Amino acid sequence: MKLLELQGLTARYGAGDVLKGLDLTVDEGEIVTLLGSNGAGKSTTLRAISGLVPNVSGDIRLAGQSLIGMKPEAIVRLGIAHVPEGRRIFPGLTVRENILLGGSNRRGARRGVLESDTDGMFEVFPDLKRLEHALGWTLSGGQLQMVAVARGLMAQPRLLLLDEPSLGLAPLIVQQVFRVVADIRARGTTVLLVEQNAHMALSVADRGYVLETGRLLVSGKPDDLWSNPQVRAAYLGGAH
Amino acid sequence: MDIALQLLFTGLGIGSIYALVALGFVLLIRAASVVNFAQGEFSMLGAYLMVIFFTGFGLSYFLAMILSVVLMAAFGVIFAGVVYWPLRHRGQLPVIISTIGASILLANLVLVLYGPSPQVLPGVFDAPGIQVGPVFMDSQYLTIIVSAAVLVGLQYLVFEKTLLGKKLQATSQDKEMASLLGIPVATMVLITFAYSSALGGLAGILVAPILFVSVGMGALIALKAFAANIIGGFGSIPGAILGGLALGVVETFGASYISVPYKDAFAFLTLLIFLMLRPQGLFGERIAEKA
Amino acid sequence: MTATPLSARRWRGVPVALAALVACVVAVQFVPAQGYYLNILMQAATYGIAVIGIVVVLGYCGQITLAQAAFFGIGAYGVALGTVDFGLNFFVALAIGVLLSGLLGLLLGVASLRLGGHYLAMVTISFQQILTLVLTNWISLTHGPDGVPGVPRAAIFGISFAGGEAYLGLCLVVLVLITLYSWRLKSSRLGRAMQAVRDNELAASTSGIDIFRTKVLAFGISAILGGIGGGLFAGGFSYISPDQFSFPESIVLLTMALLGGVQSPIGALFGTTLLIILPEWLRFLRQVYLAVYGAAVILIMVFLPDGIWGWATQRLRRTPPAPPEVAPLPLLSVKGEATDEPVLEIRGLAKHFGGLRALDGVDLTVRRGTVHALIGPNGSGKSTFINVVTGLYRPTAGRVSFLGQDITYAAPYVRNRLGLARTFQNIRVFRGMTVLDNVVVGAERPGNDIAEDPEAVTERALAALEFVGLRGDAYRMVGTLSYGHQRYVEIARALASSPACVLLDEPAAGLNMTEKQELGVLLRRLKGHGLTILVIDHDMNLVEQVADHITVLNFGRRIADGDPRSVLDSPDVIAAYLGQPQEKQGSHEAA
Repeated sequence: MKLLELQGLTARYGAGDVLKGLDLTVDEGEIVTLLGSNGAGKSTTLRAISGLVPNVSGDIRLAGQSLIGMKPEAIVRLGIAHVPEGRRIFPGLTVRENILLGGSNRRGARRGVLESDTDGMFEVFPDLKRLEHALGWTLSGGQLQMVAVARGLMAQPRLLLLDEPSLGLAPLIVQQVFRVVADIRARGTTVLLVEQNAHMALSVADRGYVLETGRLLVSGKPDDLWSNPQVRAAYLGGAH
Repeated sequence: MDIALQLLFTGLGIGSIYALVALGFVLLIRAASVVNFAQGEFSMLGAYLMVIFFTGFGLSYFLAMILSVVLMAAFGVIFAGVVYWPLRHRGQLPVIISTIGASILLANLVLVLYGPSPQVLPGVFDAPGIQVGPVFMDSQYLTIIVSAAVLVGLQYLVFEKTLLGKKLQATSQDKEMASLLGIPVATMVLITFAYSSALGGLAGILVAPILFVSVGMGALIALKAFAANIIGGFGSIPGAILGGLALGVVETFGASYISVPYKDAFAFLTLLIFLMLRPQGLFGERIAEKA
Repeated sequence: MTATPLSARRWRGVPVALAALVACVVAVQFVPAQGYYLNILMQAATYGIAVIGIVVVLGYCGQITLAQAAFFGIGAYGVALGTVDFGLNFFVALAIGVLLSGLLGLLLGVASLRLGGHYLAMVTISFQQILTLVLTNWISLTHGPDGVPGVPRAAIFGISFAGGEAYLGLCLVVLVLITLYSWRLKSSRLGRAMQAVRDNELAASTSGIDIFRTKVLAFGISAILGGIGGGLFAGGFSYISPDQFSFPESIVLLTMALLGGVQSPIGALFGTTLLIILPEWLRFLRQVYLAVYGAAVILIMVFLPDGIWGWATQRLRRTPPAPPEVAPLPLLSVKGEATDEPVLEIRGLAKHFGGLRALDGVDLTVRRGTVHALIGPNGSGKSTFINVVTGLYRPTAGRVSFLGQDITYAAPYVRNRLGLARTFQNIRVFRGMTVLDNVVVGAERPGNDIAEDPEAVTERALAALEFVGLRGDAYRMVGTLSYGHQRYVEIARALASSPACVLLDEPAAGLNMTEKQELGVLLRRLKGHGLTILVIDHDMNLVEQVADHITVLNFGRRIADGDPRSVLDSPDVIAAYLGQPQEKQGSHEAA
């Protein structure tokens, strides 16, 4: 079943048109990855889905419902959680508090339920348990990424938007992060993953789209994309 | 030494007022990046509301106080809607100037309604005070210090222990991320304005018996509270409190040992020294612009 | 040969001013020697001078001041105390008051060194409050709250201005001269520097403007104007007291400037007159008029940020004339050859932000006449690198030398004056100025060969615009240009400063395909003229087209350095961008 559908998405963000008529679908239970070099419009796509981009035209539908014009708070209540580029963990709050706030979209959820769900997160991410009361600004990049993902999952989303989770992380940590991503899909959450690191992304994804300057260049299954010379050219130029 | 202790008590008393107003300031700065030059008028309005309810309508002191504070909270929301909301994307300068305009508007509206002569508001307690060792603790000053301590304590509890408090903190640390989690950011900002206004009003009610209720009472307090913010570290909550207390003490000692007429100058001189030498204050961060 | 408009600069505004002077002198003959109208006009004239001071520091330079009444007061007390207590001649007393005012203004400007916005506002308020306290309490000097009565009118060399119309005439003459000065200031080098500081301080500093000096001068000029107004005020009304120069009066002066339009002296005078006459007409509102002021300030900020005059002139803006033709950009008509000579040498550059190592010991050499590209994945440290090299960040370690000189700790404007120019990834143009003025800022940077000759400066700026293909847009406001063209304006600004090396920070960012192609053409032309360029970008096609040499960063370290083909084919570089290929993956042990 189609969970997310983008049709002719055009976005103006800061500079001129950053997205130019983008078409994209994500089916329930998939991991779909959005690839491309910097400035290709990947992050803008996620931000547009989350309602953070004011000037968009075209259509964004979640299970058939249009998201255009909705505020971020309303979109997240529909079941989309966004783990943004740079993680953006609240620096002055503890790890536990950060994760707890991930459930802020769940209307009517009582404090007790959220607290026990947070305990549940520490089961899924046991490495974070010892950091439970550490303040956000003291964490390393890899730890921040784990907390950000846990926080995103607290929203019990139907769709998780992951923006460049490998950014600035050492290769070994990146592998850990992507194991987590694969695990998320196994637990039933659909993931739209934006990544610059094409190799890691394609190793977990079911399908991928490659963007170049706001337009769709090519899409398909990971193996097809990996062997496609256009993909390499999109990042490094020329014909290799 | 006895005199020093007495001065310390008095200094902490007036310092607590500065701390409360400075607290109202810093919360708005953190939540909405607003530097509110009308903060002093919140105190002035609170005091005048007390005059209306207590002196005018003859309500009991505590009922009048509660009513005044609640009305000030409501006023805070209106203030946010008129002065802040239309300008929230336009940068710092227009908002600063707009709050300056609001400050003048409020002060002069009250002037029209009540005239320039100061009103008298009695203290909470009839007894003048109690003698503790060498220090005579004036009952109103005592009330101020205790109230401020209780309020700060309650605020700490709300911020640290309640979910709402966490959401308020999150909003002030990263507004966009808070909104991405589903936290209603606009509501959080309005709550902060309401609280900040109520805080200012309460400070005005507490200090009114000492300073008299007049149109200009808020302005000078606010300027000093703002100075306290900078001295303590702009944007820091403990900095606001400690800065306020410190300023009250410095000012009281300065007035007594150096010069009374220039009492008010001490606040500004201290401020200028900090701005020149250590603009980040005692607890604040470095000020820099990213390219 | 240049056309007439450029050479007529020197006398701009003077004919109008002369006419105004004559008109004023004639008009005052019809004003009664004393009474209501005289007072209104004198107040308007003297306040107007002070309000023009606010136009300079806030309108032109963007620095908030809530202390103008203090400077007004210093001038007033200078005249009052000087003439009444010390028996000095009016003009001597005025000079002393204005001098003192100016010095304190410079001091206030020093406070603006690291502070802006609300900090600066607080400094000015503190200054204002301290002055009020001094005026009220230093009774032996200032007479305290009683004030100073009997201030005489001006007299010099036997000419007395004691009569009402004569004194008003004096005030108006001074007002006209000051209006002319401040109007011309806006289009002078200092005026442009102020506006650049207001619009984009970072870009101003990397365009050769000494930010600190500019702000200090702005405050100094503003204070001097305040002092002049105050001195004339004292002579006009013959009695002054401290409450006339207190914080509320600073607010009134600020409101006058905002109402009319803080960017224009004419607008400010309009606002001043309006706010002096209005309370008189609205006499029944006398009690409320300050409240109305307050409301007016809020409303102006929300609905009319340019003030009434500003709003009116916006509507009447004519289409700009066509700019003249000029000779081609001189420095670039020399065909240079690439050499081995290092222009920019960076050794072991490190920048740590707390625990984050944005740059971790980078070496890089840019040689004369080459295009050197710096690439790397997102977050690799490229922007940090360029910010450290241009002086916006202090390095944690390492050395930067330019043309043989160590510039590791030099201020940004110093680096620009040595010949290092840059553009910004997130376009930093001066939005309040025309396209031409934006580029003129670059052309007139101190140290540039033609910097002292205004006509040559304009020619050079037009030549730079011609080079990037925007000469026809010279007189448009820069904000009306497309994003890509604004980037070209930045490039023209850099070229106009006769740089020895240009740093381009992601010049292709935000450009569409057509604009990127145009940019590629432009870069190749620059390269053909032998300009030394360091370019950072993500667009590999662009980089491949123009670069002679590529350095690759990852995690703040250099991972490749050499000619484009070998760098882009290197497995390390491919891995950095695309991730490790399957075969090269290590074991899956947890950290």
